[in-house]
Amino acid sequence: MILTVNGADTRCDVAPGARLSAVLRDTLCLTGTKVGCDAGDCGACTVLLDGAQVCACLVPAAQAEGHAIRTVESLAADPLGAALQAAFLHHGAAQCGICTPGMLMAAMALLARDTTPSEAAARAAIGGVLCRCTGYTKIVDAIRDAHRFHNAPPSEEGGVGARLPRLDGVAKIAGLDRFGADEAPPGALWLRPVRSPHAHARFELGDTAALAARGIRLLTARDVPGANSFGIYPDIKDQPVFCDGYVRYRGDCIGALLGPRAAVEAVRFAELPIAWTPLPPVDMAAARLPGAPVLHLFRPDNVLSTGRLACARDAPEEAHVAEGLFETGFVEHAYIEPEAGHAERIGDTISVFACTQAPYMDREEVARVLGIAQDEVRIIPSACGGGFGGKLDVSIQPMIAVAAWITGKPVRAVWTRGESMASSTKRHPARIRARAACAADGRLVRFEFEGDFDTGAYASWGPTVAGRVPVHACGPYRVPHVSAVARAIYTTNPPSGAFRGFGVPQAAIAQEALYDALADRCGMDRLEFRALNALRAGDTTATGQTIAHSAGLPACLDALRPHWAALRAEAAAFNATPGPIRRGTGIACMWYGIGNTGMSNPSTMRITLAPDGTLTFFNGAVDIGQGSTTVLTQIAAEALGLPPAAFTLVLGDTTLTADAGKTSASRQTFVSGRAAQDAAIALRAAILRLTNAGEGARLSLEDGVLRIDGAPVPIPETLEGVGRFDPPTVPLDAEGQGIPYATYGFAAQIASLDVDTQLGTVTLRRIVAAHDVGRAVNPTLVEGQIHGGIAQGIGLALMEEYLPGRTENLHDYLIPTAGDVPPIDIILIEEPEPLGPFGAKGIGEPALVPTAPAILSAIHDATGARLHRVPALPHRVLEAMR
Amino acid sequence: MNRFEYIRPRSVAEAVAAAAIPGSAYLAAGTNLLDLMKIGVARPGRLIDLNHLPGLDAIETLPGGAVRIGAQVRNAELAHDPEFARRFPAVAEALLSGASAQLRNAATVGGNLMQRTRCAWFQDTASACNRREPGTGCDALGGENRMHAVLGWSEHCIATHPSDFCVPLVALDAVVEIEGAGGRRDIPLADFHLLPGTTPERESVLAPGELVIAVRLPAEAAGFAAHARYAKLRERTSYAFAVVSAAAGLRIANGRIVEARLALGGVAAKPWRAEAAEASLAGAAPDADAFRRAAEIAMAEAKPSGDNAFKIELARRIAIRALTQAAAGTPDRLPALPASSFASNAGAPNMGGLHV
Ligand SMILES: Cc1cc2nc3c(=O)[nH]c(=O)nc-3n(C[C@H](O)[C@H](O)[C@H](O)COP(=O)(O)OP(=O)(O)OC[C@H]3O[C@@H](n4cnc5c(N)ncnc54)[C@H](O)[C@@H]3O)c2cc1C
Ligand code: SF4
Ligand code: FES
Ligand code: FES
Repeated sequence: MILTVNGADTRCDVAPGARLSAVLRDTLCLTGTKVGCDAGDCGACTVLLDGAQVCACLVPAAQAEGHAIRTVESLAADPLGAALQAAFLHHGAAQCGICTPGMLMAAMALLARDTTPSEAAARAAIGGVLCRCTGYTKIVDAIRDAHRFHNAPPSEEGGVGARLPRLDGVAKIAGLDRFGADEAPPGALWLRPVRSPHAHARFELGDTAALAARGIRLLTARDVPGANSFGIYPDIKDQPVFCDGYVRYRGDCIGALLGPRAAVEAVRFAELPIAWTPLPPVDMAAARLPGAPVLHLFRPDNVLSTGRLACARDAPEEAHVAEGLFETGFVEHAYIEPEAGHAERIGDTISVFACTQAPYMDREEVARVLGIAQDEVRIIPSACGGGFGGKLDVSIQPMIAVAAWITGKPVRAVWTRGESMASSTKRHPARIRARAACAADGRLVRFEFEGDFDTGAYASWGPTVAGRVPVHACGPYRVPHVSAVARAIYTTNPPSGAFRGFGVPQAAIAQEALYDALADRCGMDRLEFRALNALRAGDTTATGQTIAHSAGLPACLDALRPHWAALRAEAAAFNATPGPIRRGTGIACMWYGIGNTGMSNPSTMRITLAPDGTLTFFNGAVDIGQGSTTVLTQIAAEALGLPPAAFTLVLGDTTLTADAGKTSASRQTFVSGRAAQDAAIALRAAILRLTNAGEGARLSLEDGVLRIDGAPVPIPETLEGVGRFDPPTVPLDAEGQGIPYATYGFAAQIASLDVDTQLGTVTLRRIVAAHDVGRAVNPTLVEGQIHGGIAQGIGLALMEEYLPGRTENLHDYLIPTAGDVPPIDIILIEEPEPLGPFGAKGIGEPALVPTAPAILSAIHDATGARLHRVPALPHRVLEAMR
Repeated sequence: MNRFEYIRPRSVAEAVAAAAIPGSAYLAAGTNLLDLMKIGVARPGRLIDLNHLPGLDAIETLPGGAVRIGAQVRNAELAHDPEFARRFPAVAEALLSGASAQLRNAATVGGNLMQRTRCAWFQDTASACNRREPGTGCDALGGENRMHAVLGWSEHCIATHPSDFCVPLVALDAVVEIEGAGGRRDIPLADFHLLPGTTPERESVLAPGELVIAVRLPAEAAGFAAHARYAKLRERTSYAFAVVSAAAGLRIANGRIVEARLALGGVAAKPWRAEAAEASLAGAAPDADAFRRAAEIAMAEAKPSGDNAFKIELARRIAIRALTQAAAGTPDRLPALPASSFASNAGAPNMGGLHV
């Protein structure tokens, strides 16, 4: 058939029923069109058909024949398209970039009719494209602003504090970034995992001769050359690559089909020779009963890990008490890019290209399952289409490595949306019992917390959650008596792992609800209650740590106060007229320790200046869309005294860059940023030594010529600056005392919303977010993180609930669309952290934590209903109102 | 996906003849069928593409004022047809409340009627499902089934029909035109979809190989245009299937309801016409008491099929909402979020032309 793509007629030899998305990507190599679900649910595949936006994944190729097909690859040559792309870049509308091509095409359909659309029209136009990173705000801004970017000059430069457009942004808006599914070595075999449909079962594999006759090999536990296990913690490698006769969750991997793609895809599950013996599933309650099945022999009580904290200091007398039981469910990361990549054996080494947040950990895991040394493994991170913690664990890496290793052939895998959702880690469901008390004047006296966290079938990051939660449980307040216990419990549910906040968002829901109740009981305003108790510089936390600097919560609350008063007044005026819609205003605060809890988590950065004037920044931090590549370069540029554009970047590749640690725990700006600053300072010193120039000398680097204070200076040999930073911490003792983190982010957010008291629906009106980030190295990127975190907090509060086997797609599992995120006002507070680069701390996770409790606080304010279970779906809101 | 034959007939007669061969399936836009083929729920051996059939993509006003909508008319095209939207505003509102702009631009009228249930077990070939494989059982019973039916279900199947479009259509006495080997016949939409009973695999009255060629709305249906609304409760503002929904149409004269129409979505395996409730409204004043009473009557037979008792009261409330909004009068232009319970304070819309 002949398809007309981007103005050119192309003959394609494809099946008439093939999906247009597959034809574009696989046959025409136009990989700018992305695939996030293959089901019409995500819109990543949006292209234009005769100018109208459609999901290419649901268009049969034959039906596209005779129609004009337009993809992202056509935009740059079209003035309107180029203007839109420039606006996206300028506004930071692309974070990870996986949704960007679809967003651009959906926006093009609108702009072709209306170049200056209203906000409502822009939101409606992108209503069918999901973005998990940006919270849509900057995308809407970019679309509305595109008309200003005709023939726009290239973006400005900038060191620390500048709104430098992201350095990896051009590839993202052009659809040229290489995600895990965007490339594969020629002749790669296709790997498709075989997963358990049962939560808990034994199984036996039968004869695979019929598969072999079709050219397909079934890889099983026996094929793993090294250890058949992996896991985040060095001492808890409890998850098998391929299960050996026993599965612990629906989605557990029992083997993988390997062969030519068409043959492998044609195999139906029912044809596989597997005999199942289902066992009763084990939930948190069942896991703790005497005589419960032991899911892992080394934890006979099914308790993976317990974190504790106890402190008691002088306190005023208790006057008011609030307590409650709070429950949250599984939350799916729902990054738009499902896991994908390829592996290739090269002699006795293996190379793995895949999306990841933690290449160095991947290297350890792959070496272990292959039984080879770590330096025989090369991990090349692909562009990462969203992570949020979910790509900290290995997923496809061990299996494609095993397959490539034992067959000697290149191997490729792309997971389906359903498979990604069924198998990947989730946010821990929590069951929290908490009790808080304050004195008559509102000063907090006591906080008691007992939380059970469903860690699912495997440990993953469970111990981290159990460790982090008790520290944060009482919130960013001065509380003299704290006792907190958090347990991670094995069940036969999906493994819970790392998800933006490591259990802190769940704990914040309990803590903030109780503080609201206490404020009401002492007749205090909810904001003033928090201001009274807020941690300040010089205060000592429940772990016994004195926070000397950069405790910006009081400043956040001060900044919010006028907004709070205005929104409360607005709500009171609105509610004066009776009606089914009730308006409410809510507030919540949070703190978040930056970096790993009470343990070393160093980062190393290296910058070199070669004799030919090439300035190279070796940066092993993985940018999963949050912007570390840009931010670290801005820091290095500022410290070195040369513009960001002077740098050549060598990014995360385990053979070229040093270990920067994981992109998690909001640590890259703080930890790797400081390492980058130190590397730049060292290199600057080396440069200045060339002419014994003074500290304040002015550097320039143009056309390979280095100048110091204007005078050209030859570079005799490659100069190098290396920076290593490990935030100073003291491990927590049995009572949870110590210095778990070198610094903390603080924030407070207000939510204003309407509740339809007849139907139970909640309409957000506005979020005002005040965040102490130490220093906003790049305000555009910081805002982007806050918008995205708030959108995820909205999902947690109002709609997201993963049910194994029930919601393994993006139409049963709902994440916020453009219409669900209200206008967001951001106030950046900069209380510098002396240890951080130019005072900066982290923002990745803090943005999400206060949103859900602020929304619940507002629902209570509007209706008097206190929700003890999220998400606050309409029927739950109505039930809570009864 | 399995290998299949692909046929592109040039006439309705050719299509119907081609479909006589067992294992054939009609392919409209494929927004539902391609997905079901991918997950192995539908495994046709032959796809018969309806896209090149003449005469199936027209919206015609017939003498006497009835409107005939070809089966291949796209959802967006119909919703944005100014004359159609003016005469049948609740239908346009329902169409625009469904799916996303991309899907509405592609999905067809026939495909919307014929779309399969969104029951998660139906879509998971490892589960027991009588509708997919008769006699295997129903894993939804006793499962996490809060989205399932509260009306007309049986122990054999508790699934719902997911369409928004069909809800106002059934309220307005739409008729389905069908062509088969035995010729042409008309079936009221109210009788088109089947309740599960003991044979949930039979979803409509279509015999194998029969083709929907058009949907007709009678001229009288336009008589409700001044007071017609569709209200849809969903769990996010847009791009989500209905938990429950309702279409209401009123003819009001001298402060009294002359005639009422009411249908519910998301509650049963078919769009649910509430005739007894309509009858209770005839002659009543359009007020809260009358609407509450009608809603009670509409749901009188309802019973939970699992952990979805809440849906019964929600269905009553969405019916009251649709009736209340209809009584207030059809707005001149559709709200920013059509049919949405979230739209209460949304700003003025600018939906623009056809292909948002
Ligand atoms: C993400 C997503 C969200 C959605 N949300 C909504 C929603 O909120 N509300 C809603 O109402 N719908 C929703 N839909 C459903 C959508 O409306 C249907 O997929 C669409 O209407 C099907 O139309 P189609 O032309 O693509 O049909 P196809 O997929 O081509 O066909 C669907 C079925 O109908 C049969 N068929 C098609 N035409 C005929 C005919 N003329 N005669 C006989 N049989 C025929 C086919 O054989 C097939 O079995 C959603 C779909 C998706 C993918
Ligand atoms: S409710 Fe119906 S569609 Fe769902 S599993 Fe049961 S039989 Fe199948
Ligand atoms: S890939 Fe097409 S909608 Fe998700
Ligand atoms: S930028 Fe939209 S999904 Fe990542």
